[in-house]
This record gives sequence, C-alpha cells and structure tokens, in this order.
Amino acid sequence: MTFTIAVHSAKGGTGKTSISVNLAAAYALDGRNVCLLDMDVRGPSLRTFFKHDTSGIPFWVNDLLSGKRGINEVVVDVSGELGTNGKFLVGYSKADINEIRELASKDRKWQSNALKNIIIGKKELIRNGTDVIIFDTGPGVEYESINAVAASDIVLIVQSPTKACFDCTEQLVNGVYKSLNKKCAIVDNMHHCSVDGNVLQQKRYDIPVLVTIPCMCNIATRSQEILVLSDRGHVFSMAISCMKHKLESFQ
Amino acid sequence: MPENEILEEILYNLKEINSKLDRLLSKGEIVPFSNEKLNVNSSLDVMMLLSLPDHLRTTATTLFEIGPATAEDIAEITRKERAVESNYLNQLVRMEHVEKYREGRKVYFHINSNMC
Repeated sequence: MTFTIAVHSAKGGTGKTSISVNLAAAYALDGRNVCLLDMDVRGPSLRTFFKHDTSGIPFWVNDLLSGKRGINEVVVDVSGELGTNGKFLVGYSKADINEIRELASKDRKWQSNALKNIIIGKKELIRNGTDVIIFDTGPGVEYESINAVAASDIVLIVQSPTKACFDCTEQLVNGVYKSLNKKCAIVDNMHHCSVDGNVLQQKRYDIPVLVTIPCMCNIATRSQEILVLSDRGHVFSMAISCMKHKLESFQ
Repeated sequence: MPENEILEEILYNLKEINSKLDRLLSKGEIVPFSNEKLNVNSSLDVMMLLSLPDHLRTTATTLFEIGPATAEDIAEITRKERAVESNYLNQLVRMEHVEKYREGRKVYFHINSNMC
C-alpha cells in the first residue's frame, strides 16, 4: 500500500531536505518504488543532491502545481544513476527567481487548484505502482507546504533543538496537523547530545519521537552527499534506516 | 417505547426529511440562505479549509481527496450517516465552497473551482 510522507518543520534549516533525500534513497535501496517531490518551491535545494545536469529538464514541480503538466512529465528517474533496486523518481522545483516571485503572488484560487493537482499527481503515482511518496516541503505556513501536508498521510516533523523551533512546532501541531487529522512523527535533528540515533524523549505534544540525530560536523560538511548511499555505516545513515523501519510500522 | 426504537424512528424521519430537502434543492425550489454566503472571492484553499469548523473540514477534506462524490461516497469514508454528510455538503454549497450537480438520480458534489 502506498503511503505519502510530508517532511515539514516550523523553522528553516532543520535538515528537511537531507532527511527527505536520504529517506527516499533508503526506501529505493530496499527495492521500494519511490517518488520524491521538491515542494519547497520558494527555496528549492533538492537539485544540489543529484549529480546529473538539471539544466535540460523540461518541466518542474511548478508546472504540476499550476496544472500545466501531469506528474509523469515532471519527474526524472534517477535509479540508474544511483543504483537503487527500486525505481527512484525525483521532481525538482525551478530555482529561478522570476518563477519564485511569480509564485509568491498567486491567489487562493490558484492554491486551491494546486492542492487538487497535487492530489491528482499522487493518485497517478499510486496507479503507476509507487510505494512511497515523499514531499520535501518549505518551512512554516507557506501555502505550498501546507498543501503538501494536506495531501500526505504522515507528517514527519523535523525539529532542531531551539526554543523558537519547539514553540512554533507546537503551534503547527495544534493549528494545522491536528486540524487536518494527520498522523505525525517527530525527528530530532542536530541534537546536542551524542546519542547515536537513540530516542531521548518518547513523545512530544503527544506525538512519537522516532529518532534523535546528533549534531555532527561531518553531516554538515557532507551535506551534498546522499549518505545512505555513500556511507551506510554513518550515524546519520543508521538513523535514517531506523526512521524508515519505524515509519513502516507506523502505518 | 424502547429507547433504540425511538432512536431508529428519529433516524428514519431525519432521512426522510433530508431526502425531501435534497429533492427541493435539486428542483431549485429552495433558494440558499443569503446570510450564510461567504465572500465569493474566498476559494476553498487549504487555509480556508483550516478555518472551517471540524465537521465541515472533514467533509471538505474528503471531497478534496476523492474528487466529485455523492453524500453516500463521503459518508462511507467519514463513517457518518449519509443524511449527515448530505447536510454538511449542502452547508458547503450554501457557503459557495462546493458545487452540486445531478447525474441521473444521483447528486454529486465537487470543490468549487469557478470562483474569483
């Protein structure tokens, strides 16, 4: 059965994209058919993880949201490049300032249709045999991010250990996730205790904390690597693997 | 009369009233209450969805997920009575967030995309 995960956070810089890419790669390594979509359309960064030239990509997630293109025209198959057992599809957002500026001026009708188009794309992916769909979102209450949350089955909340992040997350939990009846799970990222992926706190805001990833310089300095592919023994890779198993049983 | 029989009778009557209201609405004999209308410029986007009361939000979210659907289709997912969902859907119609149309004997609802 297909499940859709929105990787979201209250604040920026919590490691959503790193976790999204590595989690998607971990599922694809396991032989699952995966689709990873860059829903951080106002600050796209997914492309930095992939080596192939994206300048020739004809269509983007932006085209899916606007309804100009269907999901099958927007995604690129990277499973050959990465050597995964399952199909690994990626949809990028266009990192063009004119495009981003235009998106910022879209009205509510456009956003309403964007949500419909995400759901249509999701249904098409399910029909095509996709097992796991991952939305890498932008932080906070941006339209595109909340649309992705609304279209998901599970919200994976990435938290960094700051009071601001904790306070804002609580607001999101009560004002968005619970209102949309979403299943939620928390990942503590960049934690200041070296805990090797163990969980320090079982629950927060009545939501399970799946894993705690320690703050390590060699995660930050290798931020353009997909560590689950290049270094499976790394603490980060093992935390992702743990997260993957827990999310599966979370269904 | 035992309590369960009273409840069954109430439920039966509610269903009857609801189906009669549906017929009247579909014939255009009842004009939607103007004081329940929202600004026609307010599309049902995700932020508007979040501001709806819980019962209407669940119905509207389900309609977003499954596309055009009857009250019965929605009720199957939300596990509420068809008559209840029909009532919620018609509230959303009066608020202009949802539109309804007839196909044969069935009444379908869909998210209104013709606003603004």
